[in-house]
Amino acid sequence: MAFFEQHIHSEPKTFISKYIFSFDHKVIGKQFLWYGIIGLGLGGMMALMIRWTLAFPGEAFPVLGHLLFPSTGGVVPPDTYAMLFTMHGTIMIFYAITPILIGAFGNYLIPLQIGARDMVFPLLNMLSFWIAAASALILVASLCLPLGAAAGGWTSYPTLSTLIGSPGAGQTLWSLALFLLGVSSTMGAVNYITTVIVLRAPGMGYFDMPLSVWGLWLTAILNAIFLPVLGAGLLLLIFDRVFGTTFFLAGAAATTGTGDPILYQHVFWIFGHPEVYILILPAWGIVSDLLSFFARKPAFGAKATALSMTSITILSTLVYGHHMYTTQMSPLLTQTFMTLTMTISIPSAIFFANWLGTIWKGSIRFDTPMIFSLGVVFVFGLGGLTGLYLATVTTDLYLHDTYFVVGHFHYTMAASVLLGGYAAIYFWMPKMFGKFLNEFWGKVHFWITMIGLNGVFMGMMIVGYAGMHRRLYNPFVYEFMEKMIPINTFITYSALLMGLGQIPFVINFVYTIFFKKEKEPVPNNPWNVGTLEWTIPSPSPVYNFKEIPVVKCGPHELGNPNLPEGKDFQYQTEEIVEA
Amino acid sequence: MTNKDIEARKLTSSIAMIVILVSFTMLFASMLLGYSVYRFTVDVWPPMGMPRIPLTIPMVSTFIIALSSATLVLFESSFEKKNLKAMRAYFGLTFLLGLGFMFVQLQLWNSMAAMGLHASGGVFPSLFYALTWTHAAHIVAGLIALLFLLPVAAKGYSVEKITWVQNVSKFWHFLGVVWLVMFIVMFVF
Ligand code: HEM
Ligand SMILES: [Cu+2]
Repeated sequence: MAFFEQHIHSEPKTFISKYIFSFDHKVIGKQFLWYGIIGLGLGGMMALMIRWTLAFPGEAFPVLGHLLFPSTGGVVPPDTYAMLFTMHGTIMIFYAITPILIGAFGNYLIPLQIGARDMVFPLLNMLSFWIAAASALILVASLCLPLGAAAGGWTSYPTLSTLIGSPGAGQTLWSLALFLLGVSSTMGAVNYITTVIVLRAPGMGYFDMPLSVWGLWLTAILNAIFLPVLGAGLLLLIFDRVFGTTFFLAGAAATTGTGDPILYQHVFWIFGHPEVYILILPAWGIVSDLLSFFARKPAFGAKATALSMTSITILSTLVYGHHMYTTQMSPLLTQTFMTLTMTISIPSAIFFANWLGTIWKGSIRFDTPMIFSLGVVFVFGLGGLTGLYLATVTTDLYLHDTYFVVGHFHYTMAASVLLGGYAAIYFWMPKMFGKFLNEFWGKVHFWITMIGLNGVFMGMMIVGYAGMHRRLYNPFVYEFMEKMIPINTFITYSALLMGLGQIPFVINFVYTIFFKKEKEPVPNNPWNVGTLEWTIPSPSPVYNFKEIPVVKCGPHELGNPNLPEGKDFQYQTEEIVEA
Repeated sequence: MTNKDIEARKLTSSIAMIVILVSFTMLFASMLLGYSVYRFTVDVWPPMGMPRIPLTIPMVSTFIIALSSATLVLFESSFEKKNLKAMRAYFGLTFLLGLGFMFVQLQLWNSMAAMGLHASGGVFPSLFYALTWTHAAHIVAGLIALLFLLPVAAKGYSVEKITWVQNVSKFWHFLGVVWLVMFIVMFVF
């Protein structure tokens, strides 16, 4: 704990050193936040175009359609449709959710919540952001290519992603962009892991860390281990496309030994399954903390929560095969993977029960961050339960590649991670920017999002169960699906609603940061919670802590009956009050 | 810097270095996994009509890179002993051996091309090219990292540079080990 104390940095003077090439973890966190929000907007627009096509096949996409697809009179053409779902998935996962949860809150929270003045390697941190920016630039640039961007899905399976499946440069740029992003995330991971180990404030043991830090730290470990696996797959894919190697070319050069497209799937999912936990763990950590803060109770079984997060992390590395039941793997293997996958239910159940235990009989305050956290509990519950059907070989064989899968992963990744991210934004806004987001519009944002989101993703599961295939431009050419047009229209209206629901948020966010004047300065600790970041002024000063705090108790010391009248929480720097 | 600061620095950078090396290990391990999958799912290896790559050149590479690791160890110990002259000599040797390794790799690729093994000629040559390319790219990175030790070789011992010396050499030795594994798995078997 606290192997050394960082000295106090002097304040950067010029605009460039302060906001552009900043070494300060708080500024880098904000840069990632903007990056992610822009990604969310871009990916969201694409989602709407996909949905529009599915509900109103052959009709022009309103407003933007004529601008983007003049040759078809505003209708999304089939090849563009493939490009859209690919880029939507890629952008949402790697350029929206990841930067918000890990880039923004990882950077912002880790040093503040462990009582450090910055990350251990600030220069590395800055590089990590700028490499991520370069990667985004490459990805977006690929949209302007004559043959269009990548169109092989966010998984980019060969042979769709080989030169035969997609001849343009789009897929190559996609692979390059993701490789770069992997480099950037690995740099971030090195920083996070080391920071948590060496810079915890004196007195802070691992179980005194807030659960948010636990989630982010475990995520960083998964990133450091598994991103290189994807990196290897992407490198081979790039070699295939640029230098004519034949790793993933099925049946190529029959005399000289053929490539194997399935190998790519193995490599992809060895990375890909941990990746879904990379996304969800920070959200879980944040929600576990927030539920306790707003229920004014110590987190129920906080140690068990941390330990089950750890065991989920470990188990998540052993179960990737459940994404590949339909690749003709040996039944012996599918059974093994099924059993291993089901094992994850045990720590997950502990974890979920702890959430419920935390809010049970709490004196809950329904502020915006809290309702978003409760939203996460709800949607993650649904997402987790539907996962069981996909983990089971027999049901997966039917459900695989239907909209049921799409509904499931949107409930877990899109819905719960996104809501967790929003909860974090509303909660830490005063610490980050020294201003509050408007509560009323926050609640409007929550309810519209929640209604829209359930309409979309529940609808997707229903049509999927009925057999609607994913990734098809016009699935209604199949007779049995014609009757599903109305429900698809419903899903699309829900998606539009959800899209519209983000407008109050964006306005609220931009207005608050740039235009709002608080009547009084924001108090250091507006939510009355005890973690270290709330002991310092809002917004936090460049050097974070003038004096490095000494930690005496855990992060959730709320509602202790022995506390003096009028106080219901303790700072982590305070000795626990005994009777 | 106080002693405590130096110890803290050493600890911090060695934790970071462990994480980095784990990452690189996973990269190479995945590639070797791919290699093994192809290797064990075909009946004849090398596939019909493909020549086996003679051991001579890879053996020279192995020898050179092992030697460079040894000279680097000597560099480290002369750094600890603050022996400037030895430091310079071993640094120069290590760097030259690194360049030599790259030169031999070029010979390897030339000889493969001369045997009719081209990157696009099927999975067998693809594997050999892709893995050696990736390793060679890291050797180049390692050579650049070695350049960061130039000030040390020029000016001699300083406490601030201890972690630099340790980390760059860890990376270099790591690349040596990776090559050794590649040599055994790909060329010997
Ligand atoms: C308004 C919210 C959203 C809507 C309406 C929406 C809608 C869709 C639709 C219609 C598809 C195509 C499914 C297919 O044909 O297979 C899709 C795919 C996908 N979405 Fe979303 N989505 C939304 C938000 C998100 C978010 C926040 C994420 C981030 C985790 C996400 C991740 C993905 C992924 C990974 C795919 C798969 C792409 C592929 O098949 O390659 N989505 N989404
Ligand atoms: Cu999975």
